[in-house]
Amino acid sequence: MQQLLNGIFIGSIYALFAIGFTLVFGILDRLNLAHPAVFAASAFVGIELVERGGLSLWAALPIVFVFGALLGLVIERVAFRPLKGRADAHFAGLISSIALAGMLVALLQWRYGPDTRRFPPGSFPDTRFEFAGAQVTLVQVVILAISLALMVGLTYMVTRTRLGRGMRAVAENPTAARVLGVDVDRVTAVTFAISSALGAVAGVLFAINVNTAQLGMGSAIELKGLAVIIVGGMGSLPGALIGGLLLGLAEVFAVQYIGSSWRDVIAFGLLFVILLLRPQGLLGARKVREV
Amino acid sequence: MSDPILTVEALRVTYGRVEAVRDVSFRAQQGSLVTLVGANGAGKSSVINAVSGMLRPAGGRITFEGQDITRTPAHKLVGRGLVQVPEGRQILATLTVEENLQMGGWHSGTDGARSVDAMYDRFPVLADRRSLPAGALSGGEQQMLAIARALIAGPKVMLMDEPSMGLAPKIVAEVFRVIEEIRASGTTVVLVEQNARRALRAADHGYVLQSGEVVHSGPAGELLADERVVQAYLGVESGS
Repeated sequence: MQQLLNGIFIGSIYALFAIGFTLVFGILDRLNLAHPAVFAASAFVGIELVERGGLSLWAALPIVFVFGALLGLVIERVAFRPLKGRADAHFAGLISSIALAGMLVALLQWRYGPDTRRFPPGSFPDTRFEFAGAQVTLVQVVILAISLALMVGLTYMVTRTRLGRGMRAVAENPTAARVLGVDVDRVTAVTFAISSALGAVAGVLFAINVNTAQLGMGSAIELKGLAVIIVGGMGSLPGALIGGLLLGLAEVFAVQYIGSSWRDVIAFGLLFVILLLRPQGLLGARKVREV
Repeated sequence: MSDPILTVEALRVTYGRVEAVRDVSFRAQQGSLVTLVGANGAGKSSVINAVSGMLRPAGGRITFEGQDITRTPAHKLVGRGLVQVPEGRQILATLTVEENLQMGGWHSGTDGARSVDAMYDRFPVLADRRSLPAGALSGGEQQMLAIARALIAGPKVMLMDEPSMGLAPKIVAEVFRVIEEIRASGTTVVLVEQNARRALRAADHGYVLQSGEVVHSGPAGELLADERVVQAYLGVESGS
């Protein structure tokens, strides 16, 4: 039971990160590889807000959400919009977002140095619960609640609101969306902002969960995020949620029952098995890309 | 005669070095139906896309209600009442019929719920299929959806690009009946059509385009009665 809960906690952070990833892919059909740098930068900013700003952990989260959203706007404007008219915009955007990620991490190193950073002692409440024989901390419960609330809110927004309809219209047919009066650039920028805000919150929650922020933390989760959105089905929000939870559970159970060195072998092996059985991902639609 | 609601003067549209539209001028009076006809590749769609803001003209001037809109992007023109029903219908196939209609009210910042209900009254076939993905509709139903969606935007001028393309003759007749209703309600219609005879029969004024230029223009009835125009540009009667 303890491992099940641990898997769900870490899996919900993976899912939150991956949902931000897949949102941009679903709208633009493009991968934003600066997303992991937003994850890392937000963790550092969150720690600074608590450490130097004297804010509580939970007061820092909305500020980091806004910080992430602003970074998303910068990423869209700098790394994607100038390239959108190019025939090789998919590949060019991928490369330019990697370049921007490199710049962001370099800026982090300049500001915070190369060392691992932690939240100051006493930042976390000590409250613990007993649940079905397992120990659960208040921090873990809050991480799960925030992740689920953001995922449910995002899914509602995309499926039920005017902005969500606009996003889906742009995703399906930007020309038709323009004819209908949609400012495609603006909807795209808002999508990036939401995506990065989710990635930013995921970064802080991850740092809270392990009480560590490192310069390389974005790279470490990048591959997992990509795996989650491929397994969940590219562009599928519920798919990213299920994929994230599956990966978190697989990792925790692999460490518990087989050994920590087997963690990635088992977790990614499981994902390969899923893809062999269902190549389009768990909730992905079969899609033929036009060339 | 009052000032025209839409004027196009010396319009030029280029694709790289290729000049698709040269020195095209036309005007539409409030409440009239104007048609641009011509063969495939004559530049009709380029003209209408330049007027709607989907293409940036290389030259010329476009005014709408007396205001210069030559470089105004499409998303700003829709809110001002210049609305396009694009070639190929461009419905949003994965969104439901209802969501497509709601997108028609995008510029007003609402779902346009009352307008959507009014469209269901006007096009009952759409009401029956409101929860279906729009991609599941037949070609004729998709065209009706595209027209209904544009009407929800509240057009003063409706730019219609090949609305009869790929439709059966019976459906074409229905589409033209709807177009004439729209015009009768006071909305100005600019209609681009390959089905030239059918378009000229419905129109007040016509412009015949060839190789990106206007080669004939005049009252639609006169163009239809001009043997030289008929033989050179309108071809044989298609029966629709």
